Amino acid sequence: MQILLVEDDADLAESTARALRSQGWHVDGTARGEPVPLSVQQDPYDLLILDVGLAGIDGFETLRRVRAAGSRLPVLMLTARDAVEDRVRGLESGADDYLVKPFALAELVARARALVRRSRASDGDVMTLGLIRLDLDAKLAFLNDAPMALSAREWTVLQYLALRLGKVVAKAQIVGLLPQWDESNSGNAVEVLMSRLRAKLEPGGVRIRTVRGLGYLLEETPAS
Amino acid sequence: MTPPAPPRPASIRRALLLWLLLPLVGLVPLAAALLYAITVRPALDSLDRSLGGTAVALAHLLADDGGRVALTLSEQTAAALRTDLYDSVYFVVGDPQGRVLAGDADLAALEATRLRLAVGEWRRFDADLHGTAVRVVAYGAACGVPVASCLVLVAESGGKRGEAERQVFVGAMLAMLGVAAVLAALGYVAVARGLRPLRRLGDEIEQLSFENLQPARAADAPGEVLPLVEALNRLLARLRAASQAQQAFIADAAHQLRTPLTALHTESELALLEPHPPEVDATLRRLHRGSARAARLANQLLALARAESATQGKPAARLDLQQVCADTAQDWLAPALAAGQDLGFELQPAWVMGHAFLLRELIGNLLHNANEYAGRSTRVTVRVFRSGDRSVLEIEDNGPGIAPAERERVWGRFQRGTDSAGAGSGLGLAIVQDIARSHAARVELRDNPAGAGLVVRVDFPAVDAPD
Repeated sequence: MQILLVEDDADLAESTARALRSQGWHVDGTARGEPVPLSVQQDPYDLLILDVGLAGIDGFETLRRVRAAGSRLPVLMLTARDAVEDRVRGLESGADDYLVKPFALAELVARARALVRRSRASDGDVMTLGLIRLDLDAKLAFLNDAPMALSAREWTVLQYLALRLGKVVAKAQIVGLLPQWDESNSGNAVEVLMSRLRAKLEPGGVRIRTVRGLGYLLEETPAS
Repeated sequence: MTPPAPPRPASIRRALLLWLLLPLVGLVPLAAALLYAITVRPALDSLDRSLGGTAVALAHLLADDGGRVALTLSEQTAAALRTDLYDSVYFVVGDPQGRVLAGDADLAALEATRLRLAVGEWRRFDADLHGTAVRVVAYGAACGVPVASCLVLVAESGGKRGEAERQVFVGAMLAMLGVAAVLAALGYVAVARGLRPLRRLGDEIEQLSFENLQPARAADAPGEVLPLVEALNRLLARLRAASQAQQAFIADAAHQLRTPLTALHTESELALLEPHPPEVDATLRRLHRGSARAARLANQLLALARAESATQGKPAARLDLQQVCADTAQDWLAPALAAGQDLGFELQPAWVMGHAFLLRELIGNLLHNANEYAGRSTRVTVRVFRSGDRSVLEIEDNGPGIAPAERERVWGRFQRGTDSAGAGSGLGLAIVQDIARSHAARVELRDNPAGAGLVVRVDFPAVDAPD
């Protein structure tokens, strides 16, 4: 996996890069935003990690230029907590995710991995979660290479959650996926569906976490 | 022993009223006396003249009776002359040799009958007639052949005079008291009106806070108050500048600190992840925790500086707390999951006027506290709802809670609960308090009604949802 890290603090860039490299990933670093649009055209990066506060053009402008050049590269923005609406602006200007400084390295690695997987998956590829492999073209899931028995609805929901790996998906979004469902008992039906799906994913090291009042979160259980 | 009462502060109003009204106390009797003196004299004079009329009438009755002066006075005439509604009238008429021709014996006994007056001469004086004060008019009437002076004395008791004096006195007093009352009322109103700009200025200054140092309006201040308003506004401007400089300094310092702290944090985590000698493991962990705390502290200082300056700059927007929570829920989730907590949300529409980033900071700090102090395997719930005219935010946990005695202390800056083991800097609740105050919200620590644990309740003035 190839990552371009744009961070203008040398120490922070160095330690972040080392953390990413420790995952076996290849990391290139630059301190300025100006050369980034060209770099991502020339080299086959899988992920761009972009600090908002850069000398010269800032992270937002860099991102805008990257997107203007037609790149669909997944972008993870690093932002200061107080930088008022950085988050919103970042997402509006085409970032896929953001991380607030100071961050835990584990969090950075998890987000980076989820982003790359999501982007690969949305390209109609194969996605691996724990011991489960999702063939998004064939709409099939395999646990340890054995096909899993999933209903059409279960597959739809699993794919939707997988493409939003690490993000909370509102219950209403799930209901919206399944428009033929009766509005009145859809809430209960989603819960029933989720508990069935949860049971099927559990042996594969994949968990659907319920966030009370908010929705569902797909995550890989740490390998034990 | 009771403490001595504090001295009353000097008051312009009291001084003005004193200077205006105190002289009236002396001047009113003085003016009344003057008025009395001026008006009583003519009244008494006219009474004397009418008494003189009686004397003249008596003088006309004098006739020459063969070389002797005689008084032809019938009983009826005498009765008519004595007739008076109020007073007793006495008279005595003497011939040029001083013999009494007619009249009251009592009056004739007076020393005054020995007066020798020229023809046509008048005298007026007071006398005592058997203990009764009387007014006496003496007249030198022409009588006899050749013409000589006959003394005519007419006396009258003091009834009419006393009455006249009393009436003039009362009139003068009433007139002056009336004038004094009008002057006092006008003075009182004038002082109150004159001091109104000062009170208005005071009210305006009363509205000022450290977050809101608006200059006082000088436009409608009178000339005398204007220098005060201007001096005050210059002071406020200096204060504003100082406050902004201070906030800018804090923000800058925190900002400068943050990047190296983030690097330190990342480095120490990296060192922990990589193979390292076991004897440095504890040191590395402490280093890592310390750097996390320092980075968080820098962030909080920055937030605090911003909370204090933000309210001056951007106007508050109409926001739904539900939306604010939903937008940032994802950020709060990771630390809660890492701490093994069950973070949940119970969100209903609750609109407030506010600054989204400050509200997020507020909620973030409360959640961080819950994260630090509630402990593992606890349930933390973010609740937002509308209650009457309040929009309420509650962060509830079922951890150990805070003892009621501790709660007041917990609000202080850099203050931590006595038996807390968490890594909070103690700034969190101070930030919460600051942000709540800038949103006119109240913060309250409560017991979790479900049993153990703490509920932090922040209630804001609610606004209606936009159309």
